[in-house]
Amino acid sequence: MSDLMSIGASGVRAYQSALTTVSENIANTGTAGYSRRTTNLSEVSAAIGVNQPPSAPGNGVLVSGISSSADPQRSAAVRSAGSDLAKTESGIQWLSSIDGALTGSQLGDRLTSFFTSAQAVAADPTASAPRATMLENASAVADAFTATGAALDQADTDLDSSANAAVTNLDGLASALARINDGLSRTQSGTSAAAQLGDQRDQILESMSAITDVSVTLDAAGRATVRLGGAGGPALVAGSDAGTVAYSRNDEGGVAFSVHRAGEVSSFTPSGGVLAGVADGAQRIADTRQQVNALASDFTSGVNAVQAQGRDLDGNPGAAMFTTGDSPTDVTMTLHDPNGIAAASAGGGTRDNSNLQALATLRSSGNYETRLTGITADNAATLAQRQTVAGAQATIHDGAVSARDSASGVNLDSEAVDLMRFQQAYSASSRVIQVARETFQSILDIQ
Amino acid sequence: MQIGTSTSLFYDQSLSGMTALSAQADKINTQISSTKRLQNTSDDVVAYQRLQTIARANADDTAYGASITLAQGLLDQADSTLGNVMTQIQQAQQLAVQAGNGTMTDANRADAATQLKTIVNQLVSLANTRDSRGQPLFGAATGDSAVTQAADGSVSFTGTGTPAAIPIADGQSIQATDSAQNVFGVTTAGGQTDVFAIINKLADALNAGGDVSGAIGEATDALNAAVTQISSAQASVGARGARLDLQAAQVKDAATNRETERSALEDTDIPTAVIQLQKTMTILQATQASFTRLSSLSLFDYLK
Repeated sequence: MSDLMSIGASGVRAYQSALTTVSENIANTGTAGYSRRTTNLSEVSAAIGVNQPPSAPGNGVLVSGISSSADPQRSAAVRSAGSDLAKTESGIQWLSSIDGALTGSQLGDRLTSFFTSAQAVAADPTASAPRATMLENASAVADAFTATGAALDQADTDLDSSANAAVTNLDGLASALARINDGLSRTQSGTSAAAQLGDQRDQILESMSAITDVSVTLDAAGRATVRLGGAGGPALVAGSDAGTVAYSRNDEGGVAFSVHRAGEVSSFTPSGGVLAGVADGAQRIADTRQQVNALASDFTSGVNAVQAQGRDLDGNPGAAMFTTGDSPTDVTMTLHDPNGIAAASAGGGTRDNSNLQALATLRSSGNYETRLTGITADNAATLAQRQTVAGAQATIHDGAVSARDSASGVNLDSEAVDLMRFQQAYSASSRVIQVARETFQSILDIQ
Repeated sequence: MQIGTSTSLFYDQSLSGMTALSAQADKINTQISSTKRLQNTSDDVVAYQRLQTIARANADDTAYGASITLAQGLLDQADSTLGNVMTQIQQAQQLAVQAGNGTMTDANRADAATQLKTIVNQLVSLANTRDSRGQPLFGAATGDSAVTQAADGSVSFTGTGTPAAIPIADGQSIQATDSAQNVFGVTTAGGQTDVFAIINKLADALNAGGDVSGAIGEATDALNAAVTQISSAQASVGARGARLDLQAAQVKDAATNRETERSALEDTDIPTAVIQLQKTMTILQATQASFTRLSSLSLFDYLK
């Protein structure tokens, strides 16, 4: 009977705490990465002693801890799906860049215009207008090759800066995770602070998995050990110790990644996230570059060879039409005089056009336009396939997020129910105190 | 709102659903307004490759079409010029027949000789006709005129070789012009000669006077051979013109076929697209309406 007051008081304290947790949940409904918290209430058992009567009641209620509804398995599923999706989306970005580079400067159309304008010269070899048109079209081809090469170089530069930004981001996340690990080792589990740190840890791990595939193990205190490039890969974060990631390119255009931690350097191959997309994109840009280079050098040397074997309008051997710079796609015009186009073959006379027939033969044997269409179509086919895969992976990712958030997200209606329940329990506990006072008062009132 | 779905997830899912529908509607709208079904290379790679080939064939045929028109013009001009040449040669034949008449005096024959010299000048002028390209119509591969007339009135061919053929299709070309050697050169019983030499020789014989029957007989035979030569040249020009007409019709047919194929590959089917758009818009509006209803439903509204 004497404990009625303290039982009521424990109820008031406990439900105040429970209401605080519910309010916290409601306030964080829109907070990214927040997992719903629940107040764990447990009964204070009666003291055990020989003098206790068997009918002795308990001693009220106690807040035994704040637990978070975060689900490690579902979080891991979200990370894995996010990693796959980020890899494909990053790959799509680079394939789109390549597509833009190949089609943006309309190289194919300009090659066609160049060859068809040669037909007009063949029909009227001595007129200046068709020759000037052909020379302009040749100049347009040179510009288009240069622009295509520059666009591919730009894609390469963008790829580097994107990879460096991702790596810097990853380093920042790693050092933040190390601090959280440090915080977790100083925080008592089952507290609001521990739940908060756990949420932050999960959010950082999710951000990391969008950059590269992470293999995560959690210890009893909730501290994460993160390995890159699979479960056997080098550890980026272990306890409160974070490493850094380095990105480099080799001469063939391939990429390499390594982890620097505790004085050791270990390389790893990302199989997910933005970094895997970068590795794939770098390879594709290098391959495309090589094909376009081959096309440019075949075209310029082929046309120059046809020029050299023919005779220009003044009866001289044709001068080279194009020169190439350091890169085969750096094509510049060296022929500026329309009369310099070698339409006639040697000894054919000024009205001859048979060397342009050689140019037409070069066009069909060199297949420049078909080759370019082939390069573009191959890339576009891969792009289309990746887009389909990205659609499927986005659905998988959405499903994983949905499953995780259903388990750990805040639902305002259920919080409203909890709010009412705890408010009523709080009121009832206050009532218990009042009853205790009145009961005691009734004893005091005995006269 | 169903219990078990977190509130922010409900908003996120509704948002992504409506965003996807808006994007879909926007894509269809672009397809309708641009009338192109394919906006990116990756939309349909096979169609992209076909379309590139079609575009190339169109560009080629435009160039070949211009060459065909040019060649047709050249052949038309050659045909009418050869008609004029024929008229001149027939006049020469007439003069030869008249000169053979026994009633003609030497003075009459000298007049006829003068007329024959005029015909030679006319023929030289016809032979040196310029074509639409500014080149001699009957020019050879070399030389800037077809024939050259010396001070003494004798005529020689300026250049040598066959004039360049004009390409009219992949691997096909046509000889749009003939050299003066081919048109005016005549093979007679006496060997290789030409129209100018035949008429000049007759005029010289008539000027010389005396017995001209031998010279007239020889000239008549040679002029007959020349007429046959010019007729066959005209026939050849006509045959080439017919071939060009065929080729031009073929280019046109191929262009029509390609346009049909291009349209099927690339153009938006407007009725289908409009119905698709309507469907998407209906779904979007329904989603918006249900989102508004669901989001306005909250237990907190009933807590008083």
